[in-house]
Amino acid sequence: MSMIREIAKNKYLYALALPGLLFLIVFAYVPMAGHLIAFKQYRLADGIWGSKWVGFDNFKFFFMSSDWYKVTFNTIFLNGLFIVCGLGLALLLAIFLNEIRSMLFKKIAQSFVFMPYFISWLVVSMMVFAFLNTTEGILNRTLIANGLDGQNWYLKPGIWPAILTIIYVWKFAGYYSIIFLAAITGISGDYYESARIDGATRFQQIVHITIPLIRNVLIVLALLGIGRIFYGDFGMIYGIVGDTAPLYPTTDVIDTYSYRALRQLGDFSKSSAVIMYQSVMGLVTIMIFNAIARKIDKDSSLF
Amino acid sequence: MRKRGLMLTVAMMLLLAALAGCGSNNANDPANDAANGNTAAPANEPANKPANEPAAADPATTKLDPVTLKIVLPGDRPADMDKVIQEAEKRMADTINVKLDVVFVPFSDLAQKTQVMLASGENVDLIFDAPWLHIDQMISAGYYEPLDDLLAQYGQDAVKVRSQQMFDANKFQGKIYALPLGNNHLAGRTYLVRKDIREKLGVPPIKTYEDLINFAYKVKENEKDVIPLMAYGQSSSKDIAWGAFRAFMEYDPQYLRTDALGQSLVLYYKNNDGKVYNLFDEMEPTIWSWIEDARKLYTDGLIHPDILAIKDVESVINSGKVAVAVSNEFGVPSSTQTALAQNVPGAELEAVTFIQMEKGKNITNFKQANFQAIPKVSKNKERAMMFLNWAAQKDNYDLLAYGIEGTNYEKIGDDQYKQIGTGYSYFPYGWIWNPTLDRLNAGYDEETIKHYQFNKAADNLTASVLTGFSFDPTPVTNELSLYNATEDKYYNALFDGVVDPDETWAKFKKEAEGNAKKIQVELQKQIDAFLAAKK
Repeated sequence: MSMIREIAKNKYLYALALPGLLFLIVFAYVPMAGHLIAFKQYRLADGIWGSKWVGFDNFKFFFMSSDWYKVTFNTIFLNGLFIVCGLGLALLLAIFLNEIRSMLFKKIAQSFVFMPYFISWLVVSMMVFAFLNTTEGILNRTLIANGLDGQNWYLKPGIWPAILTIIYVWKFAGYYSIIFLAAITGISGDYYESARIDGATRFQQIVHITIPLIRNVLIVLALLGIGRIFYGDFGMIYGIVGDTAPLYPTTDVIDTYSYRALRQLGDFSKSSAVIMYQSVMGLVTIMIFNAIARKIDKDSSLF
Repeated sequence: MRKRGLMLTVAMMLLLAALAGCGSNNANDPANDAANGNTAAPANEPANKPANEPAAADPATTKLDPVTLKIVLPGDRPADMDKVIQEAEKRMADTINVKLDVVFVPFSDLAQKTQVMLASGENVDLIFDAPWLHIDQMISAGYYEPLDDLLAQYGQDAVKVRSQQMFDANKFQGKIYALPLGNNHLAGRTYLVRKDIREKLGVPPIKTYEDLINFAYKVKENEKDVIPLMAYGQSSSKDIAWGAFRAFMEYDPQYLRTDALGQSLVLYYKNNDGKVYNLFDEMEPTIWSWIEDARKLYTDGLIHPDILAIKDVESVINSGKVAVAVSNEFGVPSSTQTALAQNVPGAELEAVTFIQMEKGKNITNFKQANFQAIPKVSKNKERAMMFLNWAAQKDNYDLLAYGIEGTNYEKIGDDQYKQIGTGYSYFPYGWIWNPTLDRLNAGYDEETIKHYQFNKAADNLTASVLTGFSFDPTPVTNELSLYNATEDKYYNALFDGVVDPDETWAKFKKEAEGNAKKIQVELQKQIDAFLAAKK
């Protein structure tokens, strides 16, 4: 009853939320029914309801393979690296940007770090190849010019998590730093003023004022990242690594693996089964981490 | 009462349609036979035309309501596409009255995009598909309309320009689900060789594989900036890995790829005996020697060191940095030749193939590599077929295949053409290709033209016992998807010589053997059933 009264009282405010709500319903809630086809042998000709129920058959292709735990590990490991390094560097960047006093330089620096966000993965992929290829790659040429041996980087899976992390940070750190910067700008100048009067150094101000006050933004961004930790960034990984088999051991994520396994079969039920697996695992992880976040700081948990 | 009246009308219409179908079938038979006997002679066309007229009259003479057909093709949109469409629409306006909405999907996105289009039920009227893409899967998933009736009713010309073998061999599950596209009956395979470098090094024209390798070693010694050998390494292109490519030029016995694994040699046919062989059961010495040869070439630094990582091989060939590359057609593609000449003045490619031109030497199942299908969701199936039929008439074919005469191409005789400029790139293989109307690029060398003409005649090839067989993957989808994912990890690395053969093969075998066996058993079962039914 109180809920209806609440809605009636603030009906204009709720009306404002309506478009967003509709968007969520159409694009986030309705498609959830699509998980149904993970348990069916979906054929377009028969439709969703006409297709045969097959239980957990569609999950077999994934869990029967010897690679499923490897690709799951890769997915979590790479995403973990992306979240930690990406957010960490973005935070540093935001703080540095905030400390810059010359407005012109600040604006230029900000645009400069933000720019990579707009470059498509396809272009990034070409840049990476130009940088790393064996015969004319910039890196190998530099190594050879300095008297070192050139390496065949595309045959060394071990270093690729690092390479991908660097690329990720380069592309997204600027973007996240804008969010942090916005949060920092929201901090009242009074804190800094009184700290300065008490004789706090710049560094002390950062550690004791800036970071604690934007902690909840950091936690929310981290939680959002963790919620998608089971989804490999297909556009990025397939764009850069493509079908380069020697790199699979460290770069193959759930999404690229299932793409390869299913690209010739065109089986929607099987791909839905993989997505189902990712969603359920994602839900479980976010519940766990949200609970942890709530323990640490009640205000910064998601729900 | 009213309802019954309606039912009656519907029944009458069905009956009429059936009769019309039979009628056109009968009218078509002689034309068909004539076309079979002499596939390579367009000259007999006019003689057949009148016989066809009554059947074709219905859709051809009465002006129909305008309909826009959405056609999905592979590749990039040519600059002059709109001009060609305009001209085509003008020509069709008084008869089948079709407007064309041609959508191009780049090859790299083709599999994914077309699949999503079909699965989401997007309104597409004609779509490109192929066995190397996912035609078997799409058919077994029920996305395509069977064409037998439509062809009989509206497609007389489209039938006439193709040989009977072509239709018989390219049925899926006993029906024609898509129009086979091909300009001959054997897919061409060549090594593209840098003629200028060969002549500079004083090497005589290459006649054998040994000549080719000797040339490569010479390049390695003398040309520091050129990488001698280039093939494909991304796991989506398995047939054109350096070692695997040699299967296309090997005789006694010929090793043929299977209907279940597509491009892979792990399961293969040989000796035309209707058996499926499995490399995991017993390693075939010849195939193993290809792998070892590739390994030697790679460690000797002849094969491009980044072969597995390069996604766009054509651009590497065009840049002039390789001396020999594999290619999937007879002759040098004119686009490659032009691009190379632009990047490296004086550079020229020549086509070298070891495919033999002896009657009956090559075994084929007459399977074509490209198809045009009509999706079940299309609302204009009849009109789509009428369009395909319209495109199978000489003048219309010339327009759609080569562009506007005088602007984009020049006719040379009845069966050759010369391209002008780059406004209209070559892509008839995507929608209308057939052996009767196709013109050859007059820029090809003599040898290449001979190959094309030789393989146009179906009778010059030995028919595989499996002609007309198609594999239904449904019983082994789990095994296939597991197998594909495993094979992708090792296959190209092995056949391009990037990894140690013994160690990698052992790993590959351990992971993939079980699934390969199950696929082999299922394939053999279906083949046995097919052969039994044929007898």
